[in-house]
Amino acid sequence: MPDGVPIYLDYAATAPLDPRVADLMSECLRDPALQGNPASTHAPGRTAAVRVESARGQVARLIGAQPETIVFTSGATESVNLAILGAARAAADGMRHVVTARTEHRAALDACRQLEREGFTVDWLKPGADGSVDPGRVAAALRPDTALVSLMHANNETGVINDIAAVGRICRERGLTFHVDAAQSAGKLPIDVEGTGAALLSFCAHKLGGPKGIGALYLRHRPRPALQPLQFGGGHERGLRAGTLATHQIVGFGLACELARLGLATEPARIRALRERLWTGLQAAAPVAQNGAAEPGLPGILNVRFPGVEGESLLFALEGSLAASSGSACSSATAEPSYVLRALGLSDLAAQASLRLSLGRDTTEEEVDRAARLLVVCVRRLRAALPAGAIEAIA
Amino acid sequence: MSEPRATYSPLVRELFERLPHAGDLAPGPGTVVHGEVIALDRGAWVRYEARIEDGRVADCAFRAWGCPHTLAAAALVASRMHGRRIDADAVFDARRLATELDAPPEKLGRLLVVEDALSGMLARALALQST
Repeated sequence: MPDGVPIYLDYAATAPLDPRVADLMSECLRDPALQGNPASTHAPGRTAAVRVESARGQVARLIGAQPETIVFTSGATESVNLAILGAARAAADGMRHVVTARTEHRAALDACRQLEREGFTVDWLKPGADGSVDPGRVAAALRPDTALVSLMHANNETGVINDIAAVGRICRERGLTFHVDAAQSAGKLPIDVEGTGAALLSFCAHKLGGPKGIGALYLRHRPRPALQPLQFGGGHERGLRAGTLATHQIVGFGLACELARLGLATEPARIRALRERLWTGLQAAAPVAQNGAAEPGLPGILNVRFPGVEGESLLFALEGSLAASSGSACSSATAEPSYVLRALGLSDLAAQASLRLSLGRDTTEEEVDRAARLLVVCVRRLRAALPAGAIEAIA
Repeated sequence: MSEPRATYSPLVRELFERLPHAGDLAPGPGTVVHGEVIALDRGAWVRYEARIEDGRVADCAFRAWGCPHTLAAAALVASRMHGRRIDADAVFDARRLATELDAPPEKLGRLLVVEDALSGMLARALALQST
């Protein structure tokens, strides 16, 4: 890590572009033979289309799918929107009920809220204390008019994993469309999409070392779920996602998926060990607690809270040294606590005293040790200035 | 989840980095008074402590929980209390602190907590002096 560059522990927000992907994309952008529109029938177009289809295969292999099940989008947010809005709107007359969870990503929450505005009823399931959604609760929420169940595979804030195979079985038995948001888990955990029972599965490139601005929606082949497109014009991607395909983005996505797939044999264990090393190092800042169950969890996400520590001050103290995400939903103007952490039962103050540390491809033991030491120093310094009783009051 | 978007002035950065006068008063002569405001809903908890000698602040320390602006304001005020008469007119009000620290408007509520904690401490000191 060069001097002056913060330790990057925000892989759950986005992973740095893999240099091999960057090189390939750059080649693709410069290669005169790849400048055609992949939808064109002339030679340059066909050449580009060959590369697109090759990448489609790489993307599909990451989740154990066939290439023809993959629809390219602009990213996971679009995939999630296309899945939720598209499937619900395409459902048969009278099927106006959707089941999801309160801890979903904003992309899913906002798409479901849009459905409510359109007259759908949405059941917002509460996770258990461990952060996961009980499949039994999903089953209990189903109604004769349920059109769609949408759940994330792994939570983007806590890394907690939902039992999507169990939910998939429930949905399959009842012939329901099940959408899985796998934006955080694709490439981090082995996924056999056929085995999950998912009819739709969303993921993207930039969480796994690919470029931003490209994602995919898996659309089960048989039985194929009904899906209404969100945009029109040109019939690309079998009429489900109009727009000229971005060859370089898709090629980069393909390689990122290929690299992630090859890394699945070793990377999860390596990253999990780093996460445990980080957690061990943070014990010197006790009291410190983990938000959400550690297992089953994504190998690279550690969501911790430091009782008595104010979130904005902690991030400011770390500024320039460590890049991570706070338990607040953004601006200091609102400092709104994370809805995910609140859904786990944390108070607003406890949520604001939390930090998501997410590790990935380039994270090293040295960085983890340095990050732990840095955090311990900052937490101790802020606590040294606290009024008596603050640690207990802000836990 | 995301990084904070607030920007911090050089003075806030400098004070936050050092947190001068954070902690407890050093032992010494005089009368010790304190003022404390706990306003978790507003995002701040500030406690001042001062040693008063001959109607003046001989030493002042603070403890605080809050955002960088809150901590910086608390430290700034503690630094400037030294040698001040407890009945002096000039107090550190929140608006003046906000201007000096270039704090965004939404931080005013937290700076009011700083002001209230200081006012409470000075009121105690004055009350003690009059007895």
